[in-house]
Amino acid sequence: MKKRLIYVVIIMAVVLSACAKTTTTQAPVVPTKAAEPTSPPPAEKVTIKVWSHSNPAFQKANDLLIAKFMAQNPNIEIKFETFEYDLYLQNLETSMVAGTEADVLELFGTWICPQYAKGGRLLEVPEDVMTYAQAKEIFFQAPLDGYYCDGKLYGLPHEFNLENGGALVNTALFEKAGIPFPPKWATFDELLADAQKMTEVTDGAMAVAGWDPITGDGLTFTLLAGILEQGGNYFASDGRHFNFDTPEAKKMIQTMVDWAQKYKVVDPIVFTDESNSVSTSFFTGNMAIGFIGSWAAGEGIISYPDFKFDYVEIPTYFGGERRFAADSGWGKVVSAHTKHPLEAWKFVKFVTAELDSAVIYNTNSGTIPALKALVENPEKVLAVEPWIKPTFDLLPHGQYIGNLTDRDKLFYEIVYPNVLQAMQGVITAEEAAQKINTDTNAMVDAAQ
Amino acid sequence: MANVAIPLMKKIEPDKGQRLWPWQKWFVYGSLTPIMALLLFFSILPVLWVFVLCFYNYSPTRAGSGFLDMGGANPFIGLGNFKAMFADLQTSAIFRKSFVNTIMFAILVLPINLAITLPLAVLVESSQARLKGFFRAIYFMPVITSAVAVAIMWGYIFHPQQGLLNLMIKTIGLTPPRAWLTDPRAVYFGIPLAMIAVIISYIWQDFGYNLVIFIAALQGIPNEFRDAAKVDGANAWQEFWQITLPLLRPTMLFVCVMTTLSSLQVFVPFQVMTNGGPAFQTEVLVKNIYDNAFRYKQMGWAAAISIVLFLLVLIFTVIQFRLLRSDSGLEY
Repeated sequence: MKKRLIYVVIIMAVVLSACAKTTTTQAPVVPTKAAEPTSPPPAEKVTIKVWSHSNPAFQKANDLLIAKFMAQNPNIEIKFETFEYDLYLQNLETSMVAGTEADVLELFGTWICPQYAKGGRLLEVPEDVMTYAQAKEIFFQAPLDGYYCDGKLYGLPHEFNLENGGALVNTALFEKAGIPFPPKWATFDELLADAQKMTEVTDGAMAVAGWDPITGDGLTFTLLAGILEQGGNYFASDGRHFNFDTPEAKKMIQTMVDWAQKYKVVDPIVFTDESNSVSTSFFTGNMAIGFIGSWAAGEGIISYPDFKFDYVEIPTYFGGERRFAADSGWGKVVSAHTKHPLEAWKFVKFVTAELDSAVIYNTNSGTIPALKALVENPEKVLAVEPWIKPTFDLLPHGQYIGNLTDRDKLFYEIVYPNVLQAMQGVITAEEAAQKINTDTNAMVDAAQ
Repeated sequence: MANVAIPLMKKIEPDKGQRLWPWQKWFVYGSLTPIMALLLFFSILPVLWVFVLCFYNYSPTRAGSGFLDMGGANPFIGLGNFKAMFADLQTSAIFRKSFVNTIMFAILVLPINLAITLPLAVLVESSQARLKGFFRAIYFMPVITSAVAVAIMWGYIFHPQQGLLNLMIKTIGLTPPRAWLTDPRAVYFGIPLAMIAVIISYIWQDFGYNLVIFIAALQGIPNEFRDAAKVDGANAWQEFWQITLPLLRPTMLFVCVMTTLSSLQVFVPFQVMTNGGPAFQTEVLVKNIYDNAFRYKQMGWAAAISIVLFLLVLIFTVIQFRLLRSDSGLEY
């Protein structure tokens, strides 16, 4: 019996050793410290691996940039690998534990501080590559600050992720309702008045929503913008906990409830993120004004080329100064496990901070530039994506959304369902605000 | 002839198995090792790993201090994850809701499935021989169709504006529900309408599997039993109730266990059709595990929920084995 066991163990050992990847001993990396440029430029060809998600537009942008970088840097070879979005996130989780992730990663800025940087998975940007002060000069604050945690910069942004201040508009429905186009809304009430004219109810069911902000992102960004516009703040004094049990939060939620209950421009039972989401319902003609980021316009042009629509600026909710919170969008970071930090940062700086590279990235991925210079001289970008023009005036008014502890949980598990239930009449605006306040703070406490 | 046969039979007696030639042994070990390694590394070790992770506050986004990043930023918390299941937290409340929803789904699916498949199997079995294959193929088709495709299709059928179902209901002069999948106030007999909609879609896809098993079992019952019942004057109902049903008991056990196991682990229709909504009325354990593990990256918490699901499946299976165990001695 023992002999048999030995045979089995030997065979398994042989099989496994054949399957196993050859590994070499790695020098320990102190993740939170900046990678010091200790080695001279490489004489031999260095290969660095870059990972991203496989959205075709983003993939094309990265392909073009990588080709350009390799042409300028013959000693550095870039191996670019993409994964389907969910698989990409799963791959990151498992590979980071095993230390097998790529040298350069494309990550969403809002994830950086609470998850990857805090977790010690990323390298700090070396000062000779870029300091935070230098980065602030060239990038907008909102996208940059997602990469800046506890006085350290962990990456550089590609895009300003904007979900605020703009909306898709169905030009045919404007025409049908006799509303002049493009709309000149001075106040949000004027927008609602037009939305009411375009709302259609057939057989007791809403067939066309006049104004629809109901998405996981839409409701949350609307709530945060409404709070900021009133001069409020959704963070508590310690900067980590939240304060949603405020008059500003309650007023904003009540405003959203009124859109559904009083103005009846959206049916929050029929139009939800799960069924009839803005990004799909708008392009099937079931929505007149859909609150969503300008990225949806870019996708719409590709997926619905015959559909007549535009992307326009919407007024502030309370008529005052425009203020809103913005996610930090996609950018590039360097893994703590990389063996080639110099080359990796050279690549990151090339693709994010150089003007020509940013033009290639933003125009091919359909994103809003994070570089101020591109917005100040927008001709190259607008030539390719003219629909993002209304967003340019908004960008200086945006502030980084902040460290939300768990961004997705806050957005999709706490704020969205509670505000939606308030709009549906299941709970009151006040109850929603209190519930959001309790649950967000419990989330912070649990994380600590 | 007999002189030759006896020594040959002796050679293949089970208790003399150790007399295999060395090359035979190597063949056996060589054949079994890859599949054992596959099973070990892709089934057994991950399961064992879940039992370890559930005692940690573990997130793969944090670099820990010990083996596989356990410890340090991913600390050992003992039963902390299990205690948190009873806490007054949103995450805990969603877990408890998903636990109840999972049980509700499994308990509703099983009797409905059996109520459809068993009579239908008897009907198909009693139809003309030429039609049997046709019916089997038709009813089995949804089983081999992609679950995602089926969920998307049913999502369109239940669509509040363009949905086929609402159109049909309106055509016959009735008023359809405002929304099948997204109305949190639509609850019938304590069951959310969205849950009912998902159950309909799930059973539509799944019942063909049990149907084929029941048909096979019915074909396996010797005609002598039925003939004897007829001779004794049994009508069709008595024949089914007194003869067929008791003899289907082992098959029934298999069907009940498998249906319950699969319905406790359903993920796709909930993810695609409702995403757990409205108001978490269709949030189930597997979706909760997925969200926590891969969306919120709370692997330790997700592992603890996996353990609960494991225990739930175990308990359901044991109960069914106890209830449906054949003590009657009816065999054929």
